Amino acid sequence: MSGPFAALRAQLLAAAEALTGGPAGLPEILAGMVDDVDHVLREPVEIFPVCHHSPASALALVRRLRARPPKVIYLELGEDLAPLLTELRHCRLPVALQAFAAEPDGLPAAAAPLSLVVPLTEASAEYQAIAYALADPGVELVLVDRSTDHVFQGRPEPDRPGEAVGVEIGGLRPRLAELEEHLLRHGRVRHWSEWWDQYVEQPLAGADHATYRQVMVLIGSLFRRLAPPGTRRHATDEDRERHMWTRIRAHLDATGADRADCLYVCGAFHAASRLPEAGSHPAAPGVTITARTATRWRYGLVPASHSAIEAQFGLAPGSVSLAAATWERTLRRTGLTPFTPAGRRAVRRRLPEAPAPPATAAATVTDQLTGYLRRPAAPDGLDEEELRGWCVQLVRLARRNGYPAGTADAIAVFETSVLLAGLRGRARPTPYDFQDAAVTCVEKERVPGRRDVRRLCEILLGGDRTGQVGYAALPPLARDVHDRLAPLGFDLERRAVQRALLDLTARPELAACSDLLWMLRYLLPDRVVRPITGSRRLGAASLRESWDLDLGRHQRAVIELGYEGVTVEQVLEQRLRRAVRQPGATAATALRAVEHSLLFLRSPRLTDDLGARAVELLAAERTVDDASTVLRRLRRLLAHHRATAPALPAWCERFVAEGYAHYCTLLPTAFAGEETGARQVGAMLGFLFTLEGLAPAFGCDRTQLELAVRQSHPRDPVKIALLWAARHQLGLLPLADLRARVDDLLGNPLVLPAVPQYVSGFVLALEPVPRLAPFVVEMLSQAFARLPDPVLLPWLPRLIATLRTHAAELVPVVTREAGRTFPATLAELDVWTAPWHARAEPGAARTTAGSGAAAAGALLAAHPAATDAVAALLGCAGEWSPRGERCS
Amino acid sequence: MSEMLRAPAEVEYAAELDWLESVDDGPKPFSWRLSPKMVRLFVLGSDRADGLDRPVRPKWFGDRGIVERAVVTLASDRGLLLVGDPGTGKSWLAELLAAAISRTSTLVVQGTAGTTEDHVRYSWNVSMVIAHGQSRASMIPSPIMTAMREGVIGRFEELTRTTVDVQDALISILSEKYVAVPELDEDNIVFARPGFSIIATANSRDRGVHDLSSALQRRFNFVRIPTVTNRRSEAEIVRFRTTDLLRRHRIALEVPPTLLDVLLQSFADLRAAAAAATGDDERLESALSTAEQIGVLEDAVLHGSFFGAGTGALSAETLAGSLVGALARRSPEDLAILNKYWHGVVEPRSRDRGGDWTGFLEGGRRAIAALS
Repeated sequence: MSGPFAALRAQLLAAAEALTGGPAGLPEILAGMVDDVDHVLREPVEIFPVCHHSPASALALVRRLRARPPKVIYLELGEDLAPLLTELRHCRLPVALQAFAAEPDGLPAAAAPLSLVVPLTEASAEYQAIAYALADPGVELVLVDRSTDHVFQGRPEPDRPGEAVGVEIGGLRPRLAELEEHLLRHGRVRHWSEWWDQYVEQPLAGADHATYRQVMVLIGSLFRRLAPPGTRRHATDEDRERHMWTRIRAHLDATGADRADCLYVCGAFHAASRLPEAGSHPAAPGVTITARTATRWRYGLVPASHSAIEAQFGLAPGSVSLAAATWERTLRRTGLTPFTPAGRRAVRRRLPEAPAPPATAAATVTDQLTGYLRRPAAPDGLDEEELRGWCVQLVRLARRNGYPAGTADAIAVFETSVLLAGLRGRARPTPYDFQDAAVTCVEKERVPGRRDVRRLCEILLGGDRTGQVGYAALPPLARDVHDRLAPLGFDLERRAVQRALLDLTARPELAACSDLLWMLRYLLPDRVVRPITGSRRLGAASLRESWDLDLGRHQRAVIELGYEGVTVEQVLEQRLRRAVRQPGATAATALRAVEHSLLFLRSPRLTDDLGARAVELLAAERTVDDASTVLRRLRRLLAHHRATAPALPAWCERFVAEGYAHYCTLLPTAFAGEETGARQVGAMLGFLFTLEGLAPAFGCDRTQLELAVRQSHPRDPVKIALLWAARHQLGLLPLADLRARVDDLLGNPLVLPAVPQYVSGFVLALEPVPRLAPFVVEMLSQAFARLPDPVLLPWLPRLIATLRTHAAELVPVVTREAGRTFPATLAELDVWTAPWHARAEPGAARTTAGSGAAAAGALLAAHPAATDAVAALLGCAGEWSPRGERCS
Repeated sequence: MSEMLRAPAEVEYAAELDWLESVDDGPKPFSWRLSPKMVRLFVLGSDRADGLDRPVRPKWFGDRGIVERAVVTLASDRGLLLVGDPGTGKSWLAELLAAAISRTSTLVVQGTAGTTEDHVRYSWNVSMVIAHGQSRASMIPSPIMTAMREGVIGRFEELTRTTVDVQDALISILSEKYVAVPELDEDNIVFARPGFSIIATANSRDRGVHDLSSALQRRFNFVRIPTVTNRRSEAEIVRFRTTDLLRRHRIALEVPPTLLDVLLQSFADLRAAAAAATGDDERLESALSTAEQIGVLEDAVLHGSFFGAGTGALSAETLAGSLVGALARRSPEDLAILNKYWHGVVEPRSRDRGGDWTGFLEGGRRAIAALS
């Protein structure tokens, strides 16, 4: 076989033969790689192989575009992302193109929301291609990869639903773990990014076009041939290649473009494809592009960062930052001007022009591979001046971060960098050597500040950069947020926390801003907008508010909100409606949604809808787990409606009626069931007694409650106490009887250990039966006085815990009552007798009560008409007892 | 060599070092016997790509970057301080580096609470001083001073165990590179020859006992040796050290690889349990380091060899007994943890997998019962 690579092929085959005992497929692999290169060079549409986040690829592409500007660029990027590209003009990189679908239609719903991101950095070939095409209207940029919808079709369900799928253009890394391990070990490097940097990136940084292309295809071919076959990933890659070439041929057919004017920018892995469908020849077989599903995709640009890219694609920390630093350094050194989409920077041709690379003529192709393979890696490391500068800067940075570093350290870092480079076989230190040297010389026993030396080196080499999406490229919702917050007078794109003070009395026009901020607070993650003072509760209004705004750093969150609707109100409404319709929704969540709609949206129609849903949910519930939450929320809502409107809304009335019947029905089961806690029972009783005055008006019957209480037969002492309290509230158990029962308990040594639980029950009963407060104070005092220590002491922590969990409702009641009962000063204490003891002394108490009752009796007997009339109204016969007899 | 219980690395690997020196054509700093690349190769072992005629076995298992940073530090102006948890191989690395660079690893000062400045600088032979007065002849140089005079590597073990004034004696040695002997009128300065440097080790668990002054910190490059968590590396280390041990004791006892797996697995389990524990009482007192694994195996091998059943192979029962014996330091806390482990983890595993785990279960139970 003849051709430019014949000599190399022969040499490799001889080497394979020399390695007797090697794998049987070795000659095929080695010769195949050279054949792949040869094949790519013969393709009429020039294939430009790239690697992700590789400055060498970007530089080579810039040189190629400047030397011989193409008219059509085919790019390995999802075809549906094309409309987004023009928006890149308004962004500061790195940003990511995003496709988002909240509700998949025809795709697996379990993975929702579906999100795909394609991060772009300035130091990437794909961005240079896009920028070139955007800057020149005569250039057509055709995105040829599968659409987002196709990416998700047939994709296995992810482990973590909702996580964004990252897509890289030109992902190039050994697929075989053993190959990567082998390369790392023999390359004497720590991780893949370092290997790539040393053996490909740096030797190719200054390479000519032909060398670059041949070497990249060779590497792509090597990884392809050593990739484990038959994997799902391999099949997907082949499908994509078929798709891309089908699209390219369709475009060529449709436009009749000259193949010599076209450039196909794709990952080196795909460049080396030998599929029959790969190639621009019209006779090549094509594939039928399947239809998309009905899923509605939304597109936008979101800010990305170097660290996010590294984390998403499993790159070594700092590698993307280092690539960015290398890109800038090389640009400075070579005087090359990169392309910018807006064409803001003047495009200067300062580069000594490389001869235009031949497109198709195989005769002029020369073998550049032999030289590359023979030469040892000649790293394009740091020059002495640059290294010195870095050492000095690093020491300064370290000092600022609390390290006791000095000039001596700068010298040591310099020396160690050079020595390390020597030990690792490099002529000049690379940034990785510098980083290692800095850690060796400056890092001591502990890190004094927040950042360690490795992190400081990353900062020095450019640091983690976060992109920004400009106002014009934002979705309507995000723009709307910016416009509506404009009266605050802040630069919302600033990447810092800004404190906004809203004096709503002096500047009532800021109330709209306040409303919006509260809505954003509800919708966005915690740190985006944070109220410092001021609150939004039912029945309360703030006169002044202060907010910490950090929208600049959380631009992505606002943009993603923009995929859900056009205004914040619309999104909020959708979210509230979704919250009450989702499968796990309960009456409590629906009441919360009602409350939020009242707080944020003030839309009676929405509030009524949500309230109606709350009634439905309550009717369908079979448990009382949320009773306390329901009670708390309903009380708040009732108080709000009573204070603001003449009548309760219809849904409220229905909720009360439904709740009354619901809890009455479930009360006996709740009292008897072990799975229902005393707290829930307390809350149920609370609901029933709180609404006792209201419910009959909506058609409820009090006897239903009485029957329910009569049917309840708890065994748990806490619940028994609750039941007693309930019966007392209903008038079925007088206080004297209650007191007698408690006395019995305290006097019976067999039940004494359970007394604390009774007391706990009475404490819980304070919420539904607040008028029991004096009795609870008495009961507590009795318990403290009479319970033996072995019973009392273990119970105390539990009592405190119970009181603490109900601090807001119970503690004020108990303390107020205790304040009323117990003397306030020491002097009073000496003469003080507990009221319950006083009652026990028959003489004094009876005299007082007797004298009062006798006077009243005498008065009523003297004027019987009023009393008789009341008795007649109540339907009692009414008999007057002889004077002097007491009624009880 | 045959009369040494444990030969230092330069004796143990003398043949290999001689051969490496003969093939080494790289540039050598100062008076180093090997070039930095060869030092790295001696420590980490060779592979085919190194193009050597004979293989060099790895002697220290860990990150290549750590060794490179250590070697480079020794070629620079600063001393090397290896910091890490007990049992991470700091001293072994120090010994290997000193042996490869200067063919002597025995110039060691052992740092203890009783170490004085004389141990770092010099002291006097009192009877000679009485007989002949103070002179170079009546001076007893410390290992560090000897290293300075000969231009080789001196070692300082457990630097942070010594008091601050003793540590600070190193400051002038590391910066001025000489030691003044004011007692002598002439010839009263001992200068360091090129090639001198110090490798010190410090146990990170001793932090806060005697912290290094910032002046001394500046004169050392700190290289942190992480605990081995990679199962494969750990297996390599244990196998390497056990082979060495068996050879040293001339014991012909086979350690089945499956038993090694049992040991590694049980240590991994106990480490996970220690990490999940909330209080010290739920955590074994032992640090569960690789060195302790080697200690357990060493104990088991010796026990199996002298008191074993004579099968020529180490049994799982013996291993379990040694493991319990080595780890149960506190009674009842450690015993309770081991008892829980044996019943909660080893027992079901023995049921599911059988094999060595069955013997391991029995042996462990017996040992726990004996200690309880």
